Amino acid sequence: MSPSMVPDRRMACWTAAVFLTVALAGQALAEAQPTTDEKTKTEQAEVPVNGEVLFATSCGWCHQQGGRAAGRGPKLAGSKRDDDFILNRIKRGKQGAMPSFEHSFNDEQIHAILAYIRALPAQ
Amino acid sequence: MIPARNHVTSHGLRKFTALLGLTLAAGLAASTAGAVDPSRIVDADKSPADWLTYHGSYKSYHYSALDQINADNIRNLQVAWTHVPGRSTRGLQSMPLAADGVLYYSGSYSRLFALDGATGEVLWTHFPELNEDLIATQTHSPYNRGIALGHGKVFVGTVDGRLIAVDMKTGEPAWDTKLIDSEKLTVGFTGAPLLVKDTVIIGAQGGEWPSRGPIFGVDAATGKKKWEFFTVAGTEEAKATWGNESWRTGGGGGWMPGTYDPETNAVWWGTANPAPLYDWAGDKWQKEGPRPGLNLYTSSVIALDPDTGKLKFFHQELPHDAWDFDSAVGEFLNIDRNGRKLMVHPNKSGFIFVYDRSNAEIANVWRLVQNINFVKDIDPKTGELIGRRDMAAGKHSNLCPAIPGGISWNTGAYNPNSGLYYKVGQEWCMDLEVVKTTPIVEPQIQLNIGANFQLRDPEGGKAHGHVSGRDPVTGEKKWEVNFTEPPLASLLTTGGNLLFVPDARGYLRALNATTGQEVWKHNNGVGHNGGIISYSAKGKQYVAVETGWGSLVGDEYAALFGEPYKSMPKDSGALVVFALPDQPK
Ligand code: HEC
Repeated sequence: MSPSMVPDRRMACWTAAVFLTVALAGQALAEAQPTTDEKTKTEQAEVPVNGEVLFATSCGWCHQQGGRAAGRGPKLAGSKRDDDFILNRIKRGKQGAMPSFEHSFNDEQIHAILAYIRALPAQ
Repeated sequence: MIPARNHVTSHGLRKFTALLGLTLAAGLAASTAGAVDPSRIVDADKSPADWLTYHGSYKSYHYSALDQINADNIRNLQVAWTHVPGRSTRGLQSMPLAADGVLYYSGSYSRLFALDGATGEVLWTHFPELNEDLIATQTHSPYNRGIALGHGKVFVGTVDGRLIAVDMKTGEPAWDTKLIDSEKLTVGFTGAPLLVKDTVIIGAQGGEWPSRGPIFGVDAATGKKKWEFFTVAGTEEAKATWGNESWRTGGGGGWMPGTYDPETNAVWWGTANPAPLYDWAGDKWQKEGPRPGLNLYTSSVIALDPDTGKLKFFHQELPHDAWDFDSAVGEFLNIDRNGRKLMVHPNKSGFIFVYDRSNAEIANVWRLVQNINFVKDIDPKTGELIGRRDMAAGKHSNLCPAIPGGISWNTGAYNPNSGLYYKVGQEWCMDLEVVKTTPIVEPQIQLNIGANFQLRDPEGGKAHGHVSGRDPVTGEKKWEVNFTEPPLASLLTTGGNLLFVPDARGYLRALNATTGQEVWKHNNGVGHNGGIISYSAKGKQYVAVETGWGSLVGDEYAALFGEPYKSMPKDSGALVVFALPDQPK
């Protein structure tokens, strides 16, 4: 295996994990997660897992009108991107353009945001 | 210094040798004067060849008395040299400084450069190693808005919460002090430090990040922290203005350098807004909502003792700011009028506040922009907000100005000869929906906005900007020039009766400072959202402007204005330096 393949493999693992996560229901998810995520979750006990609220807290500043219109960041409503892409972008961000949220939001929260984006009317 | 030797004719060689002699002599003179003693900054008026501090001098005029370049000869102005710093994320946003013929500036990632002011040749560079994992989680990073000079050092802040000093002559690190736990608080330093006597003062970001927005005083010689002032609940009195302990997540900050008044030994600083930006308590904000009360000392002008960090006096420009209209703009113009010593300070809302310099009591408040409806008015005698528009959760239409403000953070300029204050005004509005949020502080602090919004044209017109020349105390308008999109860079005015306006599309424009008439322009190929200064090296006047696009305000332009912003790069920028040719063309 050449060194350049390492990130690819990791990516594949990660994608698999996402599918797994998507497949699992909320409670099962919490149990399936490693302890670090559980810790995060208890520390964030006060923060509701509500995609709409999370979006207005930390995303709407750049994605205008709650993701319905382009602003600093692109319009997200009606996105043709697949779930992996969107989850990946939220987790990792894009340097110089969008912050990464993987340390701050747990999977449950990120999926709630994805569900919120998907529920936005396309037009 | 290695000129292209094979091109040097014998005549050229003689000239070159003579020049070398001159350079050596100048070098010697510089080595004795070069340390930049703080008294030189106090007396900056006396050395127009230099630009020693962010605002040009403690008077904050962004004025250079140099007059070699003037309205009569400016048609000959041309690029003398360019420096490309690389890694210019969000464009260059700093203010170059110049001392004894050397130009110093910072780029994104707090990269430092010292260049020969006449040729642009690199004397030294210093690229601090930053926590790039942290940067990936930051919204504003990794641009940098400038440096301070003094005591033989160059000072710069970093987005990972450090203040760094390097030797002015060599770029060798002198000290490196971690002041903020940015890994936890997310914010760091993007703004320039201010040197006051033996203390380097720097303010943290804050605003929409729910922490307490500290301003620090650091010993210039050792890097030791001397004091820390919290712009959120920095005193017991202030703590009482945050109901339900909301000061813990209050926001605040002071992300642009203020100035120093040696007469009262007071550092004037503008503070940022509280978090969340938008508040759903409506007109019950005194008792209800996410941060009940006045929220001191956010969206305020504060005067600190530079030696102790103790608060001397303050004025809160927007009590309980519910619109993200900071007081963080760093301009504090010293204007003396009819025996009164005044301080002029622009607020993001589009109002300009005029204060008594001894105690921050209101002397006047005037409007720079037309589209304002977040209040009906501000009382010019007391500074009181009249007819506040406090919003409850839900939809609200046509709030003016929009979130980028009627005034942005880059500076205006004041010309003591024309008596005019030049400033960019922004005309735009927005629709929004206020949403109840909960601050996220674990494991790492996150933005807390409290609304979704969309920018729009003001009623009966298009979003646009303007530059006007006005009386700084009364606001009386002498002239105004409209721009289809607001320029976002700092302005410069000079003894040659010129006003330089680096615009958003990429033109550097020169206007007649008295009439506003355009006398020259040059296309730098990309928008501007940084600084501009004039200085002199080897007896010759230069104008240095920073290029590069992509500030958080500029980010809105693609959606609002289309091209050229849709395709304008946000990862490039250069320092472009102009001069007259040696022989007029
Ligand atoms: C500082 C501004 C900013 C913030 C805050 C921000 N974004 Fe972004 N976002 C951007 C920008 C800019 C892009 C475009 C990046 C690119 O491809 O160049 C983007 C891209 C995206 C994309 C991919 C869109 C596409 O089709 O390419 C998604 C999805 C997204 N953001 C979701 C979010 C969510 C969810 C949040 C909050 C958790 C968020 N963003 C916070 C600026 C931001």
